[in-house]
Amino acid sequence: MNLIPRKLQIGTAFSATLCATFLFGTLSVTNYAAAEKPSANDDPMLHAMQTELDREKALLQLPGLQRPFFIEYRLDDLDTYEAVANYGALTREEASRQRVVRVTVRIGDYAFDSSSSRGDGTLELAPTDDNPEALRYALWIATDAAYKNALRAYSAKQAALKQFQSTQTQHDFAEAKPVVHIAPVVTLDLDRSEWRRRLVEASGLYATDPEVRSFAEHVQYSTANLRGLALNRYLVNTEGTVLRQGYAGYEGAISVGGQAADGMRLARDNGTVAVNAKDLESASAFRKRTIEDLKSFEELRNAPVVSAEDYHGPVLFSGDAAVDVMNHLFTPNIEADRPEMGTTARTTGAYSSSYKARVLPEMLSVTDDPLEAKFNGKPLLGAYTVDDQGVPAESVDVVVNGKLENFLIGREPVKDFTTSNGHGRAAPGQAAHSRAGVLIFKASQPLSKAEMNKRLLDMAKQQGRDVYAVETLGGAELLPRLLYRVHADGSRELVRGAVFDELDNRSLRSDIVAAGNDAYVSNSLGAVPQTTIAPSMLFDDIGVKRATVEQEKLPYYAPPALTEK
Amino acid sequence: MKRQSVAVAGAGLAGLVMVAMASPGRMVSAAAASPNPAAAPTAILIDAMETELHRAMSSLGNTATDATQQPKPYFLSYAVSDSDSISLTAQFGAITGSHESRRRSADVQVRLGTPAEDNTHGDHRNSALTTVQLPLTNDHEALARSLWFATNRGYGKALDGYLKVKTEQQVRAKEEDSSADFSSEKPTDAIQAEAPALSVDRTAWETRLRELSGLFKQYPDVFYNNVILEASTETDYFVSSDGTKVATPNHVARLVIVARTRAADGMDMFRAETFEADEVAHLPDQKTLTDKTLAMGKNLEALREAPITEPFNGPAILSGRASAVFFHEVLGHRLEGQRQRGDEEGQTFTKLLGKQILPPFISVVDDPTLTNFEGVPLSGHYSYDDEGQQARRVELIKDGVLDTFLMSRLPIASFSNSNGHGRAEVGHMPTGRQGNLIVSSSKTVSDVELREMLKAEAKKQGKAYGLYFEDISSGFAVTTRRSPQAFQVIPLVVYRVYVDGRPDELVRGVSIVGTPQAALNRILATDNKPDVFNGICGAESGSIPVSAVAPAMLVSEIETQRQAQGTTRPPILPPPGADAAANNGKGGQ
Repeated sequence: MNLIPRKLQIGTAFSATLCATFLFGTLSVTNYAAAEKPSANDDPMLHAMQTELDREKALLQLPGLQRPFFIEYRLDDLDTYEAVANYGALTREEASRQRVVRVTVRIGDYAFDSSSSRGDGTLELAPTDDNPEALRYALWIATDAAYKNALRAYSAKQAALKQFQSTQTQHDFAEAKPVVHIAPVVTLDLDRSEWRRRLVEASGLYATDPEVRSFAEHVQYSTANLRGLALNRYLVNTEGTVLRQGYAGYEGAISVGGQAADGMRLARDNGTVAVNAKDLESASAFRKRTIEDLKSFEELRNAPVVSAEDYHGPVLFSGDAAVDVMNHLFTPNIEADRPEMGTTARTTGAYSSSYKARVLPEMLSVTDDPLEAKFNGKPLLGAYTVDDQGVPAESVDVVVNGKLENFLIGREPVKDFTTSNGHGRAAPGQAAHSRAGVLIFKASQPLSKAEMNKRLLDMAKQQGRDVYAVETLGGAELLPRLLYRVHADGSRELVRGAVFDELDNRSLRSDIVAAGNDAYVSNSLGAVPQTTIAPSMLFDDIGVKRATVEQEKLPYYAPPALTEK
Repeated sequence: MKRQSVAVAGAGLAGLVMVAMASPGRMVSAAAASPNPAAAPTAILIDAMETELHRAMSSLGNTATDATQQPKPYFLSYAVSDSDSISLTAQFGAITGSHESRRRSADVQVRLGTPAEDNTHGDHRNSALTTVQLPLTNDHEALARSLWFATNRGYGKALDGYLKVKTEQQVRAKEEDSSADFSSEKPTDAIQAEAPALSVDRTAWETRLRELSGLFKQYPDVFYNNVILEASTETDYFVSSDGTKVATPNHVARLVIVARTRAADGMDMFRAETFEADEVAHLPDQKTLTDKTLAMGKNLEALREAPITEPFNGPAILSGRASAVFFHEVLGHRLEGQRQRGDEEGQTFTKLLGKQILPPFISVVDDPTLTNFEGVPLSGHYSYDDEGQQARRVELIKDGVLDTFLMSRLPIASFSNSNGHGRAEVGHMPTGRQGNLIVSSSKTVSDVELREMLKAEAKKQGKAYGLYFEDISSGFAVTTRRSPQAFQVIPLVVYRVYVDGRPDELVRGVSIVGTPQAALNRILATDNKPDVFNGICGAESGSIPVSAVAPAMLVSEIETQRQAQGTTRPPILPPPGADAAANNGKGGQ
């Protein structure tokens, strides 16, 4: 009985392939070029998803109630590996493989449906075996729950809407053309024993390396870890979209820390992130990074505390630091998340009413281009060709000459943005939301590193005082980690214990006076992988002041003595 | 994953070599302590624990100029759990999860003040505890530094707790219960051999789990099922400043089968079966498990269709298994020492010591020293508890009279010492817990007689039927998200036993009304075939393996009502390919 609709479906899938290739031929070619062209038909799991979707689409209905107008099945197949070493010994090594299905059912129509802004869906564990029947069982039970939840949500939403005078003007869900995109399956490919060796070595360097061993007793913790993940994502929906695509990411990180003599907590945390494990930094570079981190931790311990008097003036942010500032203050606000019902706001962010307004200085422009797969030959983690709602990625000019021209958006429309521009992206097992992919900040008149530095020193001279330059930030609150007090003669002095003041969206709009040509590439292996590329930026009026947190007690007793080596 | 454990072993070897080069003296002493060279890695771990513990004891609190601000700890202990575990899960005939993990964690306990009043007083018990992951390899230096890190942090936490205790004691009224915070116990020295390596034929077990969970496809109304295999081997090391030094192995294998269905009116029903053994090879064979699984499926289908219970107050039999769960939840938890202490606790039995709380023909012991009961493995077995105290048999209730409680090193008004029942999961402070709770009876009859007694009692009370509780659930066994709360009992399978000779009738939706311990006083007789229930028990000190053994019992009166039921409809569509599966199922029966 199932045989006939199954065959029919394959037919539609094929015609959709043709259509997709025609429309998005340029995107698909790169993906298809790698291997012999795979098709939805060859993948038993994708096929099972399609079969169950067809059955549910045809039959799922409670008597007297609406049928779904949209059903989406997503299977996230997540393969992860993590190893951690502390003080020169392995403390954890775990590998895990998990498959989860997420079923979204929408009741109503595109204009008004059962969805809420947080994202709806029902999760169910799926077989890690390639067992199509068991997968269909998981989908069946998740679809049943999702449909019942959607019916409840739909009537609750209709009732809630009656409280408001005006009717909803934005559609709840943007229509999208069906896309068929079958990419090769990605795998976790990592030399585990070699990385285990590197982690053990790196985390033990504090006690073994002659360059740093002399201050080993100041190092309260020394951790190295490696994380690798490969996510293969399968998606089918009732509009005819069929997707199979994935990404892998790897991160090797170092974390060392302790306290200054006055009790101030100090730490260095950083690492190497790459799309392919072979692109992670080499053993010697990882080792060197660790030693640099240990040395700079000790320098920080010995550095003076920043002046107790407030400073308001020029601060030069390195590309690294500028990326953190932008990811904190800028990026979340251009990702158009639909606000809760009952507000006329466009989005939830700070730029809700800034469309067509200036949000950055005129010399800066920002583009999000997920199709930019490489930068200077290095693969970018945030790149993708089709988003997690089955919409082809588009390059979007977010800010042109300082003015906000576009939001990044998925399939949940907001005012003035009625269709997706291919930025609906989902964390494993989560609903898709509007997220950046490869966000690139560019200056119209970029300055060289020397010119940037000269601008900073000129300001110091003009104002007749020392200024600041920051190399790296740490923590969620944009705390400076490596902050230098810069004298007019160009000499620098590391200081500790500072916080920034008045570093906010106003300073992004009005305080950036120059930007460099030194694009810094930051790949982030978060729940949704993202890449941010930004140059160094000179702000002319940022507050730097002494942090007011109480210092913690120093260790109550000394660490165990190191054995002679 | 096999590769992973091999690799870890390789790293272990490297660690050993490194330490050997770094500190030949230590290696010699380690080797001398144990004639078996294979035990050397363990010796490095124990040596690192001891050395670092003594260094901390002699260093902490010494540098302070003001002794009241930074007191010396009066007690310090390191409890290390070195475990290797595997878990496999299957659903609808396919593996959905598989996880293997090797962990070494240390629970560092720091006590400041005096045993009479320390930083753990009142609500501050956790101020003594800090948990850290230890190196998996026997690298002395890294082990020592990890322990230092945790001890230093733990001391800070204990100081903070102690200050709060002091302040609170100054402002509050005198406590009703003036028992001390920590008991004084004799040191133990018992280094047992390491637990054997974990050995699970993964491929074979995956096949078995697939088969078992796939059986539920024969029952289209059973819309959820899970078959879980868990196996672990663990060696627990305990070193304390009062001179105790213990290494004790534990290994356990467990198979859990859980399934759910929903009646047309929305009532949710589930069944769970657990099988325990010391290792996977000793779990029941596939035929036995298949039969149990099919019986569960059939039972759930029958339950769906069963009539809903009506309010009832009359006689009932609890099967041996139901009695075991009942005693564990209703009596066992209330006999945990710490429940007799503190402002928040019910102290149900505090004033009943030496009094009759059960009929005189019932006695209850907790005996963790037993590895099996009449050949059935007991998961509540251990030889040393998590405070380094030797396990021992404790007579809790003798001929119906309450004699003592399950004691950890936390004293109560009536008992100031541990009786070897201080148990905890990693990352939790030990409290008095059950091990193997064994209920015995001197008034036994055969099953047939017990059933006749039920009918006679029902007739006497003017009831048309008595109840037979075949299965009862609790927080005990179920490991799914639907797990009910501990200390409660939820009847799963209940029959009406009619006095007029009609066949027994399955009913659904039964829940017990009122305080269930009242039923314990109304036991009229028991059968002569004690049944064993093994499971995982969760409480404040974490999840630990326990067993309960009890005969079936007849109670003169138990009050039941209809339970609050769910409102969600059963699945709208039949399962994928249900027609074919149902046919196969019928063919197989």
